[in-house]
Amino acid sequence: MKKLIITFLFAAAVNLLYAQVERGNVLIKGGTVLTVTKGTLENTDVLVKDGKISQIAKGIAAPAGYKVIDATGMFVMPGIIDAHSHAGIDAINEATAPVTAEVFTGDAVNPFQIGLYRALAGGVTAIHAMHGSANAIGGECETLKLRYGVKDPELLKMEGAPRTIKFALGENPTRVHGSGNAIVPRTRMGVEFVIREAFSEGKAYMEKWDAYNKAKTQKGFRGAPPAYNKRLETMADILRGNIIIHCHSYRADEIYMLLNVCRDFGIKKLVFQHVNEGFKVAPELAEYGAMASVFSDWWAYKFEVYYSTAYNAAILAKNGVTTSINSDDGELMRHLYHEAAKTQKYGQLSDDEALAMITINPAKQLGVDSRIGSIEVGKEADIAIFKNHPLSIYTVPMVTLVDGVVRFDREKDADDQRIYVDPKQTIDVTLHTSTGHDHETCMQGAEYTFVRLFGLNQQEK
Amino acid sequence: MNRLYRIPRQWLALLLCVATLDAFAQEEVKLAPVTRTYAITNVNIIQGPGRKVDMGTLIIRNGIIQNVGKNLSIPSDAIVIKADSMYVYAGFIDGYSRAGVIKPKQETNRERPKDPGNPDPEQAGITPQNDVRTSLNPADKSVEDLRALGFTTAQVVPYGGMLPGTGSIIQLGGETANDMVLLANSAFYSELTGAQRMYPNTVIGVMSKYRELYRQASQAKAYESMYASNRAGLERPTNDKILEAFYPVIDKRVPVLFKADRYLDANRVLLLQKDLGFNVVLGDVKDSWDLIGKIKSSNAKVFLSLDLPDAVKEEKKDEKKDQSTAEKEALEKRKAEAIAQYTSQASVFQKAGISFGFSAASAKTKDIPANLRRMIAAGLTEDQALAALTTSPAQILGIADRVGTVDNGKIANLVISDKPYFNEKAKVRYVFVDGVMYKYEVKEEKKADAKNGNGKKADPNGKWSYTTETPQGNSTGVIKIKSDGGSYSGTITNSMSDRETELKSVLVDGNLLSFSFGFDAGGGSMTIEVSLTIDGTDFEGTMSVGQYGSFPMKGSKEPNR
Repeated sequence: MKKLIITFLFAAAVNLLYAQVERGNVLIKGGTVLTVTKGTLENTDVLVKDGKISQIAKGIAAPAGYKVIDATGMFVMPGIIDAHSHAGIDAINEATAPVTAEVFTGDAVNPFQIGLYRALAGGVTAIHAMHGSANAIGGECETLKLRYGVKDPELLKMEGAPRTIKFALGENPTRVHGSGNAIVPRTRMGVEFVIREAFSEGKAYMEKWDAYNKAKTQKGFRGAPPAYNKRLETMADILRGNIIIHCHSYRADEIYMLLNVCRDFGIKKLVFQHVNEGFKVAPELAEYGAMASVFSDWWAYKFEVYYSTAYNAAILAKNGVTTSINSDDGELMRHLYHEAAKTQKYGQLSDDEALAMITINPAKQLGVDSRIGSIEVGKEADIAIFKNHPLSIYTVPMVTLVDGVVRFDREKDADDQRIYVDPKQTIDVTLHTSTGHDHETCMQGAEYTFVRLFGLNQQEK
Repeated sequence: MNRLYRIPRQWLALLLCVATLDAFAQEEVKLAPVTRTYAITNVNIIQGPGRKVDMGTLIIRNGIIQNVGKNLSIPSDAIVIKADSMYVYAGFIDGYSRAGVIKPKQETNRERPKDPGNPDPEQAGITPQNDVRTSLNPADKSVEDLRALGFTTAQVVPYGGMLPGTGSIIQLGGETANDMVLLANSAFYSELTGAQRMYPNTVIGVMSKYRELYRQASQAKAYESMYASNRAGLERPTNDKILEAFYPVIDKRVPVLFKADRYLDANRVLLLQKDLGFNVVLGDVKDSWDLIGKIKSSNAKVFLSLDLPDAVKEEKKDEKKDQSTAEKEALEKRKAEAIAQYTSQASVFQKAGISFGFSAASAKTKDIPANLRRMIAAGLTEDQALAALTTSPAQILGIADRVGTVDNGKIANLVISDKPYFNEKAKVRYVFVDGVMYKYEVKEEKKADAKNGNGKKADPNGKWSYTTETPQGNSTGVIKIKSDGGSYSGTITNSMSDRETELKSVLVDGNLLSFSFGFDAGGGSMTIEVSLTIDGTDFEGTMSVGQYGSFPMKGSKEPNR
């Protein structure tokens, strides 16, 4: 018994040494609360206790020791969730093999990236830090909460978020492996083969282990276990339903192909990323229960994305597909509220439908909708406060909270928000140049691109 | 040969004699010392941190410290060193470096595997079965350089990729590789370094591969012991030298020494340690003052880096103060604060009660004494610095019964300086390694006029065409260098564009040319660092692109027109 107590005390001491996630107590007063799932509540207070929303009502008195944020005249919405990002990680593509299911972006989390703070300044509170799209099956991804300010990479991870994995179809994997290394996949059918083969091997691996584990329980069993293989184990975990697939895809035919592959292997948790031709297979996606995370209006950056429409998100949503709008980019991530507003111009979505695209829907796609994505009692207090309605072109993000802790405050925004300063890094002065504003700089560096793209200035040759 | 046979025997003997004499005349053959007994007299003996004998005598016999104290009688066979008012300390211990390890030749044009996803383990840097003892060279200059500072012992590791092999603790002296080894297989050395252009290439690939190998090894080991206990009816275990190399680590007989110079890398190493449970030593730690909690709870051992960022230089400030100078000043202030954090890391660890040693892995040898003084100025006491150089690493490495203090019965590893070691003006006068004396003459200070790298001079001025080999294919371009007075400037172009990018910090040191330049990579700018060795009208070297790694670069001068 004594030993047990000592062990327990030791465990407690060890836990103390590991930093804990900070959770705040705060009262957000008098704002227009856009709950997204439960309508819009005017002049309403949101009480946050220990990082969770504990009460939503008018005229809540601030308990002692609570921070009070006056949101009078402002808009309080759930923190924005970006279902497709590569921020906050030091390694994106293990581009050396067509299948690298075993790697995990969560191993390379970098809490010091300034882009995370910039995203917070755009109301973003959670991102899906994904493996890249070089491989047919990339690696597992990490869902991060933007607790910018912490130094321990573990504290950036959204504890308990479901496992997700990156798949990729089309030009990227065929270019990297087929054209680049002269191995399979060289074509779209090669990509299908690679994925089917990986699942088949994963299935065989799972069956071998299941048989071994069963045999082991029998008395007097002696034998060798199947050789451990991290890649196949991850594939088996997808088959077991433990990992959500997030698949980079553009064309309708290949989207439909992956639906069939997943159907054949009994896989249900499936989200398509980019999905530019998703509008062509929207009913099929809805029927399967597959979700879609799209750009608002970005296309034509390579051949397979020419057939696109800005109505994509609205068409998918109206067909019953759970749809989100993502950034895949450090700059777009800073104004996802504008990106969501585009669905009102292209598709006349309602405010709640448009806001759902950057809140509750991405939360569903990451399997965290019971915890974040809307303003509801019991949910984690990841909240963005905007000066105007977030779908207005005039809006300005004012305060962003994660777990009830203010992580961005426009009033307290310093020039230099770096947490870690590398003494070897040289930063050029950003604000002012000695010559003042130079109108010429608008096109700096662009001429070269024009020359390359359009063959301008050819006459000089 | 036939002729030789016909020479009468006595002649042959004489001939041999002459031949030997001849050899003596040409080569300087080392004679065994007349005696291996030394008496160092009238010396301040710092036996260990806080333990001092003023003006005492120290007697060494057969490589061992025989006696330390006052008024000792000098043995008749002793060589007497009158170290009047000098200071003697236990020889310093470097916890992690590659002193005396032969650098493998860079293979040029190494063939890329047909399937980069499934390379030969050797090519992928997975060689944990290698042993640093096979590549030791006591005559390597790095041994001499480190010894000249007072280091007598070092834990050294092989070159390689993620799993280069096992390290050993060596003495920085001796005639042969075998002479050097104090303790073999002292550490299972690991890095988070990826393989170039093949799997595992990134840190996520390396960590994943590390976990897989470790678990495969645990599995293989368990099966082997099951098989050993009763072989009947079981398939024989397969033999795998890579997995076998992990066994002592799994048994916790040997710790994993992990390169962990950057804070985030150290975090990643501790993440692996938490998953797999091995005993871990963090090597060359530079910026991990925020990692103390995790270091304590994981029971990690630490060797702090002897490398420090350059101290801020005082510059004349412009009179004019517009907004951009204000911003620049704010940035410089943060930089200075960051440098101060690096410098005070050792004292922060000390105050947190973590015992640590030092590592010379990435430090410029000549900067080490000054860096130690900077750490002392930042809060470490001299005794604490001495402990980190002697007793603490001896404890961490498990060799405290042999080295680390000046006590009877210990190995005669000593450093003698003319002033207290941490004094700026102190000079090392004698170093003993295993009782073998190395004497240092104090040179007249030369006027610093020529600082020519390794002596060879080269002319970087002109137009150079270059080629680099990157995963995206070869890239070519032109580098232009010109000198303005004492300094150099230049530009670079690449095969994509003829636009000239300005070079920054162009440095020429003898035949070494280095510079960096900014590269705009879609939204973020990154710095590319280049270092080249010029040989006449050719150069060769590397280009480092941040986290993407280093790539070979070579080129030649274009003739003047």
